[in-house]
This record gives sequence, structure tokens and C-alpha cells, in this order.
Amino acid sequence: MTGRIFSIASNTFRETIRNKILYAIIAFAFFVIGMTFFLADLSVGDFARIIADIGLASIHVFGVIMAIFLGITLISNEVDRKTIYIILSKPVRRHEFIFGKAFGLSITLALTTLAMATVLFAIHMVYKLGGRPEPGIFVASIGIYMELILLTCLATFFSTFTTPVLSGIFTISLFVLGHLTGYFHSIAGQSKVAAVKWGGRALFYLLPNLEVFNWKNDVAYEQLPSASIFGLAVGYLFCYAACILAFSCFLFARKDFK
Amino acid sequence: MNSSNNVLVIEGLTKSFPTDFWRKPVRVLEDLSFDVRENEIVGFLGPNGAGKTTTIKILNRLAFPDAGKVTLFGEDIYSGADFQRRIGFMPEQPYFYEYLTAVEFLRLCGQLCGMSLRDVDSRSEELLSRVGLNGVEGKAIRKYSKGMMQRLGLAQSMLHDPEFVILDEPMSGLDPLGRMEVRGIIRDLKAAGKTVFFSSHIISDVEALCDRVVMLDKGRKVAEGLVEDLIGADILYIELVVSPAPAPELLESAGILPGAGHAQGDLLVLRAPDSQEANRWMAVLLKEGFSVLSCVPMKKRLEDIYVERVAKTDVKAKVQ
Repeated sequence: MTGRIFSIASNTFRETIRNKILYAIIAFAFFVIGMTFFLADLSVGDFARIIADIGLASIHVFGVIMAIFLGITLISNEVDRKTIYIILSKPVRRHEFIFGKAFGLSITLALTTLAMATVLFAIHMVYKLGGRPEPGIFVASIGIYMELILLTCLATFFSTFTTPVLSGIFTISLFVLGHLTGYFHSIAGQSKVAAVKWGGRALFYLLPNLEVFNWKNDVAYEQLPSASIFGLAVGYLFCYAACILAFSCFLFARKDFK
Repeated sequence: MNSSNNVLVIEGLTKSFPTDFWRKPVRVLEDLSFDVRENEIVGFLGPNGAGKTTTIKILNRLAFPDAGKVTLFGEDIYSGADFQRRIGFMPEQPYFYEYLTAVEFLRLCGQLCGMSLRDVDSRSEELLSRVGLNGVEGKAIRKYSKGMMQRLGLAQSMLHDPEFVILDEPMSGLDPLGRMEVRGIIRDLKAAGKTVFFSSHIISDVEALCDRVVMLDKGRKVAEGLVEDLIGADILYIELVVSPAPAPELLESAGILPGAGHAQGDLLVLRAPDSQEANRWMAVLLKEGFSVLSCVPMKKRLEDIYVERVAKTDVKAKVQ
């Protein structure tokens, strides 16, 4: 089973890595991250912190664009181009196909995130030729990467039953809501109306809490997340992604290909 | 139907596809039953929209039936048995990952089938040469013509040496030479002890290749049987080719009806209703100094059966 998942993943990696639009996004990301070098000079305050702050935000934004753009077409492209007919007629289970596709895209996102983080790290280090190395950039990028994996799983989930456009809208909506779940929790805690209390709590637990992976501010202020925060984020990602992929597999298992 | 040498048994297969949210689903297959026996070549004939591709998708678990049972190698296809290792499938107008080369694509297929890289490479080389793709195996698939894609589709369906090969329109998009090669491949598969089930619009190919035929129209089976049984032993007419074409007056004086023949260049092709008439016409024509180049008894062709059966269901549908 792992062999088949790996084969599908490596093919997905090959497919995404040959996508010209991906290179356009990466090139633009490099340009924006590079611009932080000049932007820092125009700012007042700790220049290195500004580089880390804006640079990590750029990695986050461009990573999300890549994850959503590639994720929403992950399954639908295979169905539209009918390549899935040949793959599923081999001894491949449908859940293996879903896992392989999501895993393949995760490898691509790992590489692109690493590339962007390395560029930012280099810029941060060479700033005014006396910059200091900031390993926190890589730590915050791991958090961003975990968020991208979760978004990939959500995009995969939506692409099993709807069009790429709708998948994109749903995933972007969840991305926005995912950074606001803390507000739902505090609204639920402060409200005296039972419906708001329960509704707020339900939304907090059901929607993905993407702030769990947000360590950008900590790194900008030269603090690293503790091992427990890191472990919690990994555990949360594992559980949430497993649930989403399980739902995706469930829906995909009974899908008719017309 | 459940004899031990059945590779495939389909019983009461029914399938509908939803259209719009508020409209009734469209019935694509209606109580379809037939079987495919070991080492047979079975042709699946039917007009566009008859339900051939849907049936083939159900066999490959790409679509799910509303009712009915499909048994492959004696086991229900939903029993969880890993029968896909024993099946080779080529979809209609196959599509591939365009960024891969034929060799890379076959490697992917081989890995998915659990083959070792060495086995995949040696088998790929053999198959690519068999389907006429040697020399272009390193080219990206996006540069392939429709016929080349069809050949690659055929190669991937045979890669893991399956016992049962299902081909959806294997001749479509191929030139006459390509069709001839595919016919040769299908015959070779049978000679190697494999079972082949293929759908086609090209009746002459089905007639030339198949042991048995299943005809489908509007989701219902309209005919099934051995090709020779369907065609029957009855002689429809006897065709005489006469050279040079005699004048109409001479034919009239010999008692040959004007509608009995048609000119073909310098020749005249006559259709005698039975052997007695054919003998009489030949005697007259030979006496008048004409040459009878050929005298062939004509049987029903599969195409006639197909047109007859499909037309019959059309009339039935109109009456209903």
C-alpha cells in the first residue's frame, strides 16, 4: 500500500513541480521577500525584525496561494483529464489515491516553503553585511508549512465533490475563518445568550484553528515557540488532517465517474 | 450462466445517472445480463449512448450500479478481492500525464501494479515495440498523436500480463494499418490464453475478431451469441460479377430483372435470389460471350443483424 501511495505522490510531485504557474508564484514570492531588504531601510525601528516580519508574512501569503491553487485542482484535474480512469483501474484503492495526491503536494509545498525561507534567512543574515543569522525563520516557516498542509487537505476534501472554483472559495473562506476562531471562542465565553455561547464553541472546535501554527510574531521578537506549543501544533495538525482526509476518502469512495 | 469457465458474469445490471437537481435521473443501463468465458474474444456493440462505456466503467469500479451483480473470476467485484491485478483496462480515448514520457508512464503503471522496476522496463520495451511506439518512447506524451495515445493505452493495459483485457473502443482514432495491428494484438492475446472484451463501433472489426458478440441499445441487450449463430447459415442472395457489363436489353431478354444488378465500372454486379436463378443467368451470359468473374453466395453480415436489432428497439420505443 505504501508503495502505491509513494508512486502516486512522486507523480503528483513531478506534476506540480512542472507547473509553470507555480514558478511564476515562486518568482514573485522571491521578489517580494527580496524587497524586504530595501523596505527595512525605509522603516523606523529594528530593521532585522522588519525583514523577518514582512518576509515571513510573504512566505505565508505565497504559500497559501500555492497550496490553494494546486490543492483545488489536485483531484478535479485527474477527473477532467480522465487520467484517473487508468490509475484506479490498477490495483489502487481510492483512499490510496487521495493520500498519494495530498502527500505529493505536501512534498512540493515543503520544497517551496524551504526555498522561500532560505532566501529570507540569507537576506536577514546579509542585511548591511552585519546581519545575524536567525534560525527562528525556519521555525516559523515550519508553522507556516503545517498550515499549508492543513489547507491542502481542506482543498483536497472540497475537490472530491465540487468544482475547482467552489473548492477555492470554500478553502479561502476557511483560511480566513481559521485565523479568527479565537474570536469565536471569546465571543462564546462572554455571551450570555445560550445559542451564541454554543454556536461560538461549536465553530471554535469545528473550524480549523490556524493560529495554532502562527509563530511569526514570536520569531520577529526573537522568541521561539516552546516544545509543548510545537508538539500541540503537530498533534492538532495530525488529528485535523486525518479527519479531513478520512471524510475525503469517504466521499471519494462512492464517487461515480461519468 | 454460472459455468466454471466464466471470467465475467453480469446479472441484471441497472444504472442511472442524475442530470439536473430537479429532473429524474437518466437510465443508462436496464437489466443487462451477459457473460464472458475464458479465452474468448467478446465484442460489445452498440450505438453512441447505448451504455457500453458505463458498463465497462462499472467493471472497473469507476461507477457503481443501482442494481445487479457483477462477478469477475467467480467473485463479486465489491467483495474486496484484488482482482484488478488480473485485469487490463484501456479506457475510451485514453488520456495520460502529458509531462511524462511513455517509459515513465509505463513505470508508474508498473509500480502501481506491484511490478519490480526491472520487470517493468523489460516488459515496457517489449510492449512499446509490439504497439509500434519504439523510437518515440522518450518523447513527452503531450507530443503524441491520437493514434500514438491509443497505442500507449493498449500497452499499459497489457503491462502486468493480465488474464482478462477490457478495451473500450480500441480501434478508434487509428488508421487502417493501426487497426490491423490492434486486431493482430487482440488475436495474439487470445493465442496466449487471455480473455478479451472490447467495445467498438466498427462492426467489421468485431465480425473479424470476435467469438461472441453482445449488442446493446439504449441500455438494453438486443442480441447476444456466437457470431456464426447470429449471422446464421441462410444465404441471402448469390452475387455474380459479369464482364463486360451487358446491355439492359440483353438482360431483359434473358429474363434478368432490371433491378437485379448495378454497374461497377466496366463490370455488372448481379444479385440472384437463389442458386437455380444464378445457374440460369450464368448459362445465358456465358452463351452470349460474357465472362462471369465471380459467383459468391452472400450470407447476412453482422452489420445487417446490428441494424435489424437496433432498428427494432427504436420502433418498439416509438410504439411505447
